[in-house]
Amino acid sequence: MPQDACDVAIIGRGPGGLQAAIHAAGKKVKVIVFGRPERSSLYKAHVANFCCFEEIVSGKQLLEAGKRQAESFDSVFVEQDIIETKSENNRFRLVTENGETFSAIAVILAMGIARKKLRVKGEKELLGRGVSYCVDCDANFYRGMDVAVVGNESAAAAGALTLLGYAKKVYLVCPKLTITDLLHEQLNHSDVKIIRDAWVKEIRGGTEVEAVLLTDGDVLKVNGVFVELGAKGAMELAANLGVVFDAETFSFIETNKKQETNIPGLYAAGDITGQPWQIAKAVGEGCVAGMEAAKYAKRLARS
Amino acid sequence: MAEQGVLDVNDGNFESEILKADKPALVDFWAPWCGPCKAIAPVMEELEETYGESIIFARCNVDNSPNTPAQYSIRAIPTLILFQNGKVADQVVGAVPKSHLEAFVKKVL
Ligand SMILES: Cc1cc2nc3c(=O)[nH]c(=O)nc-3n(C[C@H](O)[C@H](O)[C@H](O)COP(=O)(O)OP(=O)(O)OC[C@H]3O[C@@H](n4cnc5c(N)ncnc54)[C@H](O)[C@@H]3O)c2cc1C
Repeated sequence: MPQDACDVAIIGRGPGGLQAAIHAAGKKVKVIVFGRPERSSLYKAHVANFCCFEEIVSGKQLLEAGKRQAESFDSVFVEQDIIETKSENNRFRLVTENGETFSAIAVILAMGIARKKLRVKGEKELLGRGVSYCVDCDANFYRGMDVAVVGNESAAAAGALTLLGYAKKVYLVCPKLTITDLLHEQLNHSDVKIIRDAWVKEIRGGTEVEAVLLTDGDVLKVNGVFVELGAKGAMELAANLGVVFDAETFSFIETNKKQETNIPGLYAAGDITGQPWQIAKAVGEGCVAGMEAAKYAKRLARS
Repeated sequence: MAEQGVLDVNDGNFESEILKADKPALVDFWAPWCGPCKAIAPVMEELEETYGESIIFARCNVDNSPNTPAQYSIRAIPTLILFQNGKVADQVVGAVPKSHLEAFVKKVL
């Protein structure tokens, strides 16, 4: 099997993804885990209600221990975000923020949940009139215009680079940029205008977006604002694969008791499948997803 | 009409099928590369099964038909526009839950 191919790929290395890795790798299939420890909801938590840990335990410690455990079962860790997913010929293709492509027979979605809204004046009012949450969907509407992308992680950085192919001028507002060195370098060598010392205070416009007011008082005259906080989540990475979302909120991925989504070979575990947002639920679902995904991958590898 | 499913409309037939229709219409502006558009497609189909007798459910591919979305200043997809008597009655942007969309179409029932 080539270096960039695996049986089970796990997107997310919080408790859900880690437990999935432990159980999948325990079944002797090749497992690769993507994501960053410090982006897990657990990273800054102090936990008192997780079974069998009487003392308050730090989330960071749990995440480090979980990684060592998963590695002891031969899971491989890639500390990058996934920015693109595709399915073709019974395999999934995942592209990382560095532009590397991995293939997998089964994929477990364990990206957790993250805030997607900026919560500033003008954001809600101008939605669809210059405010967008999806570069991949809407870049084409901004040909020849000036746009700003807002966000500190891979979704914003990759989004800004994508927009260079469409827009006239692209700003990236990213005071706390955390991306891989390679992506950083690509940005620095591109025409993206990087703004590091301010955040967005307000989005301005009448019937359409006209400008962005920054916290340092500067005003960017733009026709569009792409809000791309965090890494790409369920709607960005799973919807294009045809995954069904929960009917009530349209935010979470629907699974059955085997943690299967409606797409064969695609599983989900943890906060991404809905409440309660608890470690115990994430590891429980991760365990099932890991075993089921490994079983699926073995079956398909034989066929 | 219910067995017809969601109707595909384009720049060429938008006027006759939607604006001059004798019923209100809900049009989903979408594109094949758009994940949220894919997520909302089955919701449109479900609503069509329930309300297809009294409302036209249609979709317009913005990739193949750029003029119609430009006319309605669409800058994000999916955008769903509710038409009545040839005019925009209301619109919603993004992949929204079924209950939300159901309440939305009931406005013109
Ligand atoms: C302050 C705080 C306190 C908490 N306290 C408790 C507690 O006491 N007890 C309890 O049970 N629960 C607690 N929780 C909840 C708990 O942390 C979560 O339920 C749990 O972390 C969910 O695990 P997960 O694996 O689903 O997602 P997360 O732990 O959030 O992990 C998500 C992972 O996905 C990765 N990721 C996201 N997008 C991508 C992408 N595009 N590509 C690659 N990787 C990606 C991230 O890098 C991260 O590694 C707390 C949460 C918070 C915020």
